[in-house]
Formats: sequence, structure tokens, C-alpha cells
Amino acid sequence: MENNTMNNTINITPNNTNNTMDEEKTAQREALLEVLKSKINRQLLLYLDVCARCAICRDACHQYKVTKDITYLPAYRAELVRRIYKKNISPAGRIFPKLFEGKEIDDEKLLEELGRSAYACTGCRRCMVYCPFSIDTAWVLSVAKEILNAAGRGNTMLGELADAAIFKGENIDMFKEILQETLKETEDELRGKLNDPSASIPMENTGADFLYVALAGTHTILPAAMIFNKAKISWSLSMFEAANYGYFLGSSKKAKAIAERIVEEAKRLKVKEIIITECGHAYRVMKFLYEAWAKEKLPFKIRGFVELAAEFIKDGRVVLKEKNFPEPVTYHDPCQVGRNAGFYDEPRYIMKRIAADFRDMAPNKERNWCCGGGGGLVAMSELDKFRIQTGRLKAEQIKKTGAKVLVTPCENCRLQMDSLNEAYGLGIEISSVMDFIANNMVI
Amino acid sequence: MSGFSFFAAGIMVYIAVLVFVVGMAYQIYGWVKAPRSAVRLGIFPKPKNKGVRFFKLLKDSFIFPHSAESDPWMYTFAILFHFSLAAVLFAHFRMVHEFTPIANALGKEGMEKLGAIAGGTLGIILLVTILFYIFRRFFSPYKDLSVFEDYFIVFLLIVIIGLGDHLRFFAKISASEYRAYFLSVLTFRPFFPEAIAEKGARWVLTMHVFFVNLFVMYFPFSKLTHAIGTFAVNSVRSDV
Repeated sequence: MENNTMNNTINITPNNTNNTMDEEKTAQREALLEVLKSKINRQLLLYLDVCARCAICRDACHQYKVTKDITYLPAYRAELVRRIYKKNISPAGRIFPKLFEGKEIDDEKLLEELGRSAYACTGCRRCMVYCPFSIDTAWVLSVAKEILNAAGRGNTMLGELADAAIFKGENIDMFKEILQETLKETEDELRGKLNDPSASIPMENTGADFLYVALAGTHTILPAAMIFNKAKISWSLSMFEAANYGYFLGSSKKAKAIAERIVEEAKRLKVKEIIITECGHAYRVMKFLYEAWAKEKLPFKIRGFVELAAEFIKDGRVVLKEKNFPEPVTYHDPCQVGRNAGFYDEPRYIMKRIAADFRDMAPNKERNWCCGGGGGLVAMSELDKFRIQTGRLKAEQIKKTGAKVLVTPCENCRLQMDSLNEAYGLGIEISSVMDFIANNMVI
Repeated sequence: MSGFSFFAAGIMVYIAVLVFVVGMAYQIYGWVKAPRSAVRLGIFPKPKNKGVRFFKLLKDSFIFPHSAESDPWMYTFAILFHFSLAAVLFAHFRMVHEFTPIANALGKEGMEKLGAIAGGTLGIILLVTILFYIFRRFFSPYKDLSVFEDYFIVFLLIVIIGLGDHLRFFAKISASEYRAYFLSVLTFRPFFPEAIAEKGARWVLTMHVFFVNLFVMYFPFSKLTHAIGTFAVNSVRSDV
């Protein structure tokens, strides 16, 4: 099964004779089942076995709460995978499939429904907070996505973006010069902002303490560079962007290949830590998933930029203009930063020192509503209308705070907030934490 | 005991226990044998230490307070159902041995009265909550989410609870008579004591035990394993 999930999908070309058609169908079915079997672990079995279909999770999902469409009901999303599991793997289900509505793994209708359900899920894991059995629906759907990819039903857009990232990793020399050229301009801007002609944006800096992984574009490079230069620490900017479309696509092979580019770079430069920019899923991939995929223990620490920035501030390396920001400010806990990674306090510590009027949203922290754009939704144009519709709860939440500025350390969330800002006429300004620091620190 | 009673309220009990033990052992073996997820799947905040984590596991498994925020109605009925069921199961131990300290304190009549009031109340709560369970599944989205198994289990429970309530409210069988029957099963010589054998209610008792046997046999192969699996999954919740 090694190569099924990478680039090849399992062939479903029809053939002339009925006999070969049946054989091919069986072979495809077997191949898809192998994908499912390879993903089975204790947690998945328990998630599939213990769900009581009570649907207490119903209103925990912003997508179901807004649309009332069962495709987005967390228990139903997992139930689609469970039906395959019952028919093919669970002993009781194999004997009495009717009892559990067991379904074949290549059932067209089921795969179609599963595709819509799985690729719409933002992976926020809010349903897990409210489930009496703490079932991780997103984890079950990650297995669903592997099956969908193998069946040639992976999301096209995400697949292309993932392949492009892998291509860049394999051909980095092609990109190096353009990258360095762009950075020269940013470096000039940096020197102007800091009034410091020696300020720099180092790349390929062997032996640096930190390898900083930014996003495409310079908007997460300039403010971070300002903070790194003020903190006077040794760092190196990664040649790769943090975003991982392989993860959204749900292909652990591709996701690993994309993250591996950064790991290899960090090993080559012998850095002590990888610092992931304000990008929720990239942080989760590096911190919680990569080691499991690669089956290796990384020789360096993984931290998020906000975590490091909070440390700089506490150590006095970066000095803030205390309570400098007069307008009301709110903070959005990105799911992958808060609920799924545990950073609730660091960003709030920074915010409260800068903002004279900090207002938390309700609910917040692990109960916070997803922005509605995670899981790669902002990259899938076919879901634009859907994510704005289902972002309604978030928009209402923001409105209630009366804040003029919303700060959040996740690019996905920020892009979604931009859409919500426009669609719901929120009239707010959206900022990253690093911009908020860079604009309010003592230069 | 007639032929069917001897089977349903006698022999079948042993079969049911055997199927349950073997089935559940097989199910648990399946869970344990599967590799542990290499990814930690918990949600934050992280419990401060092992003690806190253990306490949280008990809280999440037994009272799952977070679910109350999401669906207060279902939560209320679920808690009422499960705690009543636990209490009723516990009360059935009276058929192994009289709860002597309570019986001594209340006297024979007082004890019967307590049994009637407590058992009656719990029996009604169980019936009402299980009817809510099935009633809820008649409506969307629960209807579309449900599979045959969901109705099958609720059907078994309604029959078991209904017959149990019938025995509690209408059958004039005393605790000591039940105990004589129950102990006969435990000592592998199943029989109905005369007081039961003479009454029509013996059929109610037989069917009550029969459906309990079905329930117990079906348990390891169904979503009912949530009663045991819940500790494992709720432990993963804090695994960060």
C-alpha cells in the first residue's frame, strides 16, 4: 500500500468484460480496505465502537448548528466511516451488517457523502470537547480522507497545492535566488523601521539558535524580523513556508514530505529550535504529528512564534509600550493553537500588556467557536459561500465584544476573519500577534 | 419450572454470562492488541498532574459535565437513566443477600416499604427516560443518524424495564422468594420456589430474565460497550 496514498490513486477504469470488471472492482475494494486497515489503531477502534449516536455533539459543530444539515453532524460524519468498519472489519458487523447499516468501502453514495463531509470539516475538534466519550471526529475523518485520496476522491485544489509544495522542496535551488532577491527589499524596509542599518534577515545561517518558518509573502517575515532583531538572538529564516496542504488534503505521506523539507533544513543548519510562525495547522503538524509520521524523535524543540515572543517580553529582550493601544481589542483562540495545542495564556499575556481595553470573547479557550475557515477551507473556492455562512456564529461572537481590532495567531483564521468582516459588516481591523507587537514595541 | 422457564430463566442465564465474558474479553483484547496512536489525541488544557488527570477521567466518564452545556435535555435524561440503572442494578444484589444493616434498622415491613418506594421511583424514572430515548430518535437529525441497532437496544431495554416495573408494581412476590430463585441460579440448580411457581407472575419474571439474557449476550458486540470503553476514550481526552 506504500504508493497508493502518495501519487497513485487506485484505478477504477471500466473494462470490456464483466469478469475483469468484477475482478477489478474486488481488487479496488481490497486496496481501499488495506488503506483503512493500515490506519487502525486503538483510539480509532474505540471511537468507532463506543459512539452511542446520542448526537449530544449536535450543536458543538458550528457547521451543523448553522446549516442543520446532517452531513455536518459530527456523529454522522464518523458514522459514515463506522458503516464501512462494521461491514468489513467489526466481527459483529460482518455477521449482521444490516444491524449497523454496514456499507461497502467503494459504495459510491457513501464516498460522495463522506467526501463532502470530510473536506468541509475544519478539524477544530470542538465536538470532542462536548462528547460524553470525547470522540475525536477529526481523527476519524483523517482516516476517511486517506480512503478518499486512495479512491481518487481527494480534493483537487488541496492536492495541487500540496504537490507544488513538494515540488519546491525537491527543487529548492530554482527558488533560492528569487527568494533572496525578495528578501533584500524586505531587509531594507526592516532597517528603516528599526532605524538600524545592521538589522538583517539571515538565511542559511548554520548554527543559529532558531529556524523561523514563515508563510509565503513577507507579511509574517517583516514583523517577526523586527522582533528577532530587537531581541538580538541568532536566527535563520527558513526557505520553506509553514503551510501544509498535504495535511488538509488528508494524505499523511504528502503532509510528511512537506514538513520534512523544514526538518531537513533544520538538521542541516544544526539549529536548536524550529519556530513556526502564527499558523495553527503548521504548528500542530510539526509539534504533534510529524514525529508520529516519521517515526523519529526530532533533535530540536518545536515552538510557536507567540510562545517565543512572550518569552522575549518576559525576559525584557523586547520592550513593549505598556497599554499603548487605546481601542478595544479582542483575541480569537485558533483551534490548533488553543484547544489543540494549549496556548491560551501566552497570547493573552501579550495582548493585555499592549491593549488598554482587552475584551475576551465568550465562549473562549477550549470552548471557543471555530472561525469557520480552518482545515484548508479558505483554500477551497467551492466552499467560499459555505464557510462564510457557517462563520456566522464567529461573526456574532466578535460583534458582541464591541472590539475594533481582532488579533489572532493563525493565518487561516485571519483570512476567514477578513471574509467575515466584509460579509457581516463587522468593521474591525484584523491583525496577527506579531504585527500587534511590532507596532507597539519600543524601537 | 416448565420447559421454557427452565431454559429462559435457568440454562440461558449461564449461556448469557458465558457469551458476555468471552465476547467482552475478545472485544477488550481487540482494543488492547491494536497499536496505540502515535499521535497524542488529547485536548488542552492539560491536567496539572497524574492525580488531577485521574480525577478528571472519573469526572468525564461518570458525569461528563461538558455534555450538559451542549444538550441540557439529553444530558438530563442520560444522567437520570444511567444513575437510576446503576442504582437498580445495585438494588438487585438484595437477591443475593439482604441488605442486613438497613433491614435491621427499618424492620421487615419498613424494608419492604423502602424497596417499594425506591424501586418504584427508579422503575418509573427508567421507563420515562428510555421512552424519551426512543421518542427522540423519531425526529431529525437523530432519525437519520440512527441504525437498526439503536432501536433494537432501546426495544430490549423497554421490555426489560417494563417487565421489571410490572413485577415491582403488580406481582406479589417477596424479596425472599426472589432470593430463593436467584440463589438457585447461582448454585446451578435453577428452580422457582413454590410461591413464584404458583403465580401467573412467574411468566413475567421468566420473560424479564429472558430479555436480560438477550441484552447481556448482545452487549459485547454493540455500542453498549461504551459502558466499559468510556474510561479508555475519556483517558485519551487528557492525553496531551
